[in-house]
Amino acid sequence: MIKLTNDELQVLLLSLKVGLFCVAVSLPPATIMGWVLARTSFRGKLLLDGLCHLPLVLPPVVTGYLLLLVFSRRSVLGAFLRDNLGLQIAFDWKGAVLASAVVGFPLMLRSIRLAIESVDPRLERAARTLGAGPIRAFFTITFRLALPGVLVGTLLSFARSLGEFGATITFVSNIAGETRTLPLAIYTFLNRPDGEDAVFRLVIVSVLISFAALVSGEVLTRRMRRN
Amino acid sequence: MLTLKVRRSFQDFKLDIDVACRYPVTAVFGASGSGKTTLLNLISGLMRPDEGEIALDGQVLFSSLNGVDLPPERRRVGFVFQDDLLFPHLTVMQNLRYGYDFLSGDEKRFTIDQIVDLMALSGLVDRHPEGLSGGERQRVALGRAILASPNLLLMDEPLSALDQVLKDRIIPYLRHIRTELNIPMLYVSHSVAEILELTGQVIVLKEGRVLAHGDFFEIAHKPDVLPLVEAHGFENVLPVEVIANQSDAGSCRVLFKDQELLVPPCSRPVGQRIFIGIRANDIILCRTRPDGLSIRNVLQGRILGVTRADGKQLVYVDVGKRLAVEVTVEAVKELDLKTGEQILCLVKAQSIRIGPDVE
Repeated sequence: MIKLTNDELQVLLLSLKVGLFCVAVSLPPATIMGWVLARTSFRGKLLLDGLCHLPLVLPPVVTGYLLLLVFSRRSVLGAFLRDNLGLQIAFDWKGAVLASAVVGFPLMLRSIRLAIESVDPRLERAARTLGAGPIRAFFTITFRLALPGVLVGTLLSFARSLGEFGATITFVSNIAGETRTLPLAIYTFLNRPDGEDAVFRLVIVSVLISFAALVSGEVLTRRMRRN
Repeated sequence: MLTLKVRRSFQDFKLDIDVACRYPVTAVFGASGSGKTTLLNLISGLMRPDEGEIALDGQVLFSSLNGVDLPPERRRVGFVFQDDLLFPHLTVMQNLRYGYDFLSGDEKRFTIDQIVDLMALSGLVDRHPEGLSGGERQRVALGRAILASPNLLLMDEPLSALDQVLKDRIIPYLRHIRTELNIPMLYVSHSVAEILELTGQVIVLKEGRVLAHGDFFEIAHKPDVLPLVEAHGFENVLPVEVIANQSDAGSCRVLFKDQELLVPPCSRPVGQRIFIGIRANDIILCRTRPDGLSIRNVLQGRILGVTRADGKQLVYVDVGKRLAVEVTVEAVKELDLKTGEQILCLVKAQSIRIGPDVE
């Protein structure tokens, strides 16, 4: 059994918190965008599609820098959020959530979009003629049938969040107890002469969490497919 | 009553319909691409007309003039699709309840048990759609649509995916919907035989327009309608009663009005009323009772009229029910067939199709 120090435990809990919030924040927009890309056609759809997938191909450091430009204290949006909503994003754990959400968004979006595309659109039309409104028809039929794909997307986004390094360190820096997630902590300990034991423990923890996420995802997906 | 006055343009197709359906069951007949399915989509609200008005029993469902466009879920118009479109993640019971559960108490015209009984689904309610046969699936789809208590039921070739045996089994359920539940229907089909087992009222569509509307036998002989009707082989449908069933003789005897007919073997009990189908080109006309002929079935009747189209002729004979008989132009000349004359219709027993039970 590995014994984590308090600092390391804090790192683990922060990583999990960032991962869960990342998934929660991404899910609604990814679902809406997944539906838009799967079921609608309009001018400029390709552009929107490309924009959504940009974080997948951009170097994370670039993504982090762009986030910094948009949300820093001195930027218009950053100032607005702080003054009106009391929301501080840059150099805060919420910024780490945003960074991993943006970087993981294309992964979640892609899964959800494919899952929605695989559902026969006529089923939803049948639901409408049976008295279901558009939102209800979507959630009781299309979204429900797409759920295994949604779950896979959620898992990918969660895993990406646990591994997020470049965008996070660029956007919100490496602040212990605030933005120092697992990869950032491992990087930090690697740079210390006495950090090797800590690195080893955190690496084990990372492997375990990722593996647990994968297995539980697979189990859930199978159970859903059976029903 | 359903009144329709709609226009809708597509890239390569234009629909322009102005028609009122007064009867409990109206069939919509036409070749594929004539706009049948589009028409149903417009009525159900799944597709929006460019302009026009749709009203059902006085309630306006759509009116471009008054800016009315009820969404499908508020039209109370049921839709049974060509593919059953059952929800694969729900059980049969959950499928049946899907629309039913949206209704308030006084909107529910039927109970679940009543429809489960009527559609013979009691053994299936806990199963998932993937485990059902085609006929069972379509019965669930019918039950599901009915339980949503629609004021009008649209049926888009609900039997076309089924083979003849299954079709014959489903048709009685469709008649139950018509007679016992009193739900008006608009029934799309390209099969004359199927239509005639449900109704005589037909709207014929061609290239997005109403070609003819009214009693099938009144309009079927019109020169522009006849080719459509004949494209799929004209079939007469007669209700008969089984009077003897000799399986060893390889045939079965039925009674139509007071005339006896020999038909292929059927596994129905004596006394059962069934439909039989006789194709118009399987009937031979004859002036005198034949002698030394293998044909056993002779129906006597009076000629109601002779019509001509595409080098073929349809002779209508009243044998207790109107029978359409296809003959050649030469035959009409040679036999000198005239309206009002007595004539004999000969039908080979083996060419008769056994249809479903009359309820």
